[in-house]
Amino acid sequence: MVKPLPKGQLAVSLGVLVLGALVLAGAWDLSTGGGYAQVGPGVVPRIVGGALLFLGALLLREALTGGFRGHDEEAESRVPMDWRAFAWITGGIILYGFLVERAGFILASAMLFVAVSRGFASRRWLSNALVGLVLASCIFRVFNYALGLTLPAGLLQAILP
Amino acid sequence: MDVLAPLLDGFAVALTAQNLLWALVGVTLGTAVGVLPGVGPAVTIALLLPITTKVDASGALIMFAGVYYGAMYGGSTTSILLNTPGESATIVTALEGNQMARRGRAGPALATSAIGSFVAGTIATIGLTFLSPLVVELGLKFGPPEYFALMIVAFTTVSSVLGDSTLRGIASLVLGLAIGLVGIDNQTGQARFAFGVPQLLDGIEVVTVAVGLFAVGETIYLASKMHQVQEKLEAISGSIWMKAEDWKRSWKPWIRGTLIGFPFGSIPAGGAEIPTFLSYAIERKLAKNPEEFGHGAIEGVAGPEAANNASSTGTMVPLLTLGLPTSATAAIMLSAFQQYGLQPGPLLFEANAALVWGLIASFYVGNVILLVLNLPLVGLWVKLLAIPKPQLYAGILVFATMGVYGMRQSPFDVFLLYGVGLVGFLMRRFGFPTAPAIVGMILGPLAEEQMRRALAISQGDPRIFVTHPISAGLLAVAVAVIAAPWLWRRFGPGR
Repeated sequence: MVKPLPKGQLAVSLGVLVLGALVLAGAWDLSTGGGYAQVGPGVVPRIVGGALLFLGALLLREALTGGFRGHDEEAESRVPMDWRAFAWITGGIILYGFLVERAGFILASAMLFVAVSRGFASRRWLSNALVGLVLASCIFRVFNYALGLTLPAGLLQAILP
Repeated sequence: MDVLAPLLDGFAVALTAQNLLWALVGVTLGTAVGVLPGVGPAVTIALLLPITTKVDASGALIMFAGVYYGAMYGGSTTSILLNTPGESATIVTALEGNQMARRGRAGPALATSAIGSFVAGTIATIGLTFLSPLVVELGLKFGPPEYFALMIVAFTTVSSVLGDSTLRGIASLVLGLAIGLVGIDNQTGQARFAFGVPQLLDGIEVVTVAVGLFAVGETIYLASKMHQVQEKLEAISGSIWMKAEDWKRSWKPWIRGTLIGFPFGSIPAGGAEIPTFLSYAIERKLAKNPEEFGHGAIEGVAGPEAANNASSTGTMVPLLTLGLPTSATAAIMLSAFQQYGLQPGPLLFEANAALVWGLIASFYVGNVILLVLNLPLVGLWVKLLAIPKPQLYAGILVFATMGVYGMRQSPFDVFLLYGVGLVGFLMRRFGFPTAPAIVGMILGPLAEEQMRRALAISQGDPRIFVTHPISAGLLAVAVAVIAAPWLWRRFGPGR
């Protein structure tokens, strides 16, 4: 019986290899010796990069010879990825990054609340938006008035006390 | 070293109204996040790190410690009533505890785990009190090579004990080490892996990585794979109090669990998982009617819960005395110390005795508060489990992004959080444990510092690590931890 090659595992192993190569490349300019400390800032990055290459190779070997050990790939792939849910949540975070300083903390957080709830298949848009707004306003008040941190008010600047 | 005098001074610190309040806030918060799925003590403490700029060190650390062991109490509630262990250390509790709940004995199951946690936590704190000064004296004799070797041991145990595969555990650890490299090298002032991005010069924040790997990664995973999840919340029917027979059957497992858990936590052997499994196996073996196991045997809740709690208190020994974190939460506690410019270790016991002993004394206090909070108020905590999943995770992410953004007021950190969250999702999907990455990220720079110091002493000769007997012995242990499972598979019996 031939099992299909686990593509995801191969990709992850390659990812580790690439990361190792990048770390080594980034360590290229860092000196390894000299100075009073004897060991320069480049030594540990070289070790870490080399280790990642080595581990990536071992992972690749496991992936090619029957899959990652001790990991139930079949159980994982039996549940299909819900890419829509994935998009709602990751999209929500990205949008939050763009909105937080433009629209302000409260609106951005309420948007994130609605997006994540939708990712978990909740379609109660209005009540989710309300809960998100209330939660974010509470956090905003506590942080800006009690703890002295300043979260951006954004578009709501005019109506916030 | 006299223990009682500093401990009494510690109580003087822990029992001030202000610090009692911090302990109360900490354990309450800890119980809540322990009960809630999706957030754990590591994320919570990471999100609370910004308060270190406002609150004095002893108050903040007492609160963080409260979150840590409060979460251990809360986690068992979820295991028993929902059969979804919030963390690996409470898997065993779910086995018998959920069976008890299904048979209408949720009350006694919750009670034995709460009282057992109290007994174990208190005995383990006594252990911590008396063991710490001894380890401190040992630690004072250690130089850079010994510390470096100790950290290597912690690296290997953390990555081989947690999770299903040593290889993926080490890969996670090294990923953490790589993250820890980013920023200005603190010995030469040279920038590493900053790619000209000013925000990266200060390094990647612990909060971003902890929240990204644990909260964001987990949320993405659950949302995109949640179709199959079926959960049934068991009601607490009848009395929550234990009957005389329950007491009789519980007290020995509590003590045995403590005796198993505490040593496992205090040697850097990584995690509370193994002691809970060990305790379960032993209780099963010693039980008068072992056929009851699997159908709700109270011993199977009492023992592992005690072991779990004792080992989490035990991890405070290497953390406080040697500055060695052996779990993700302990690693984040370490970075909380660093926020105050403090480095846990033998010197901290001398330089900041009031702080350390105040913290230790607060463990005694916190355990009492937890017992009070958990037994009569358990019905209140269960209400938290009624929050529907979509809104629960939405709320968690709102707090997560707030914590990450609010730290430096920089949207860059939010995008970084997104990236780390994706990595966390992939790690979860492909069975990589995430805790080693956190430990690697926080302990890595310290290990590098010790290594470079050691090599400065030896003028660049790497043999210093093997000519110093203690360091050589520790490195041998590290090699054994990695090689043993492999050798066992290869040459062991049954092969």
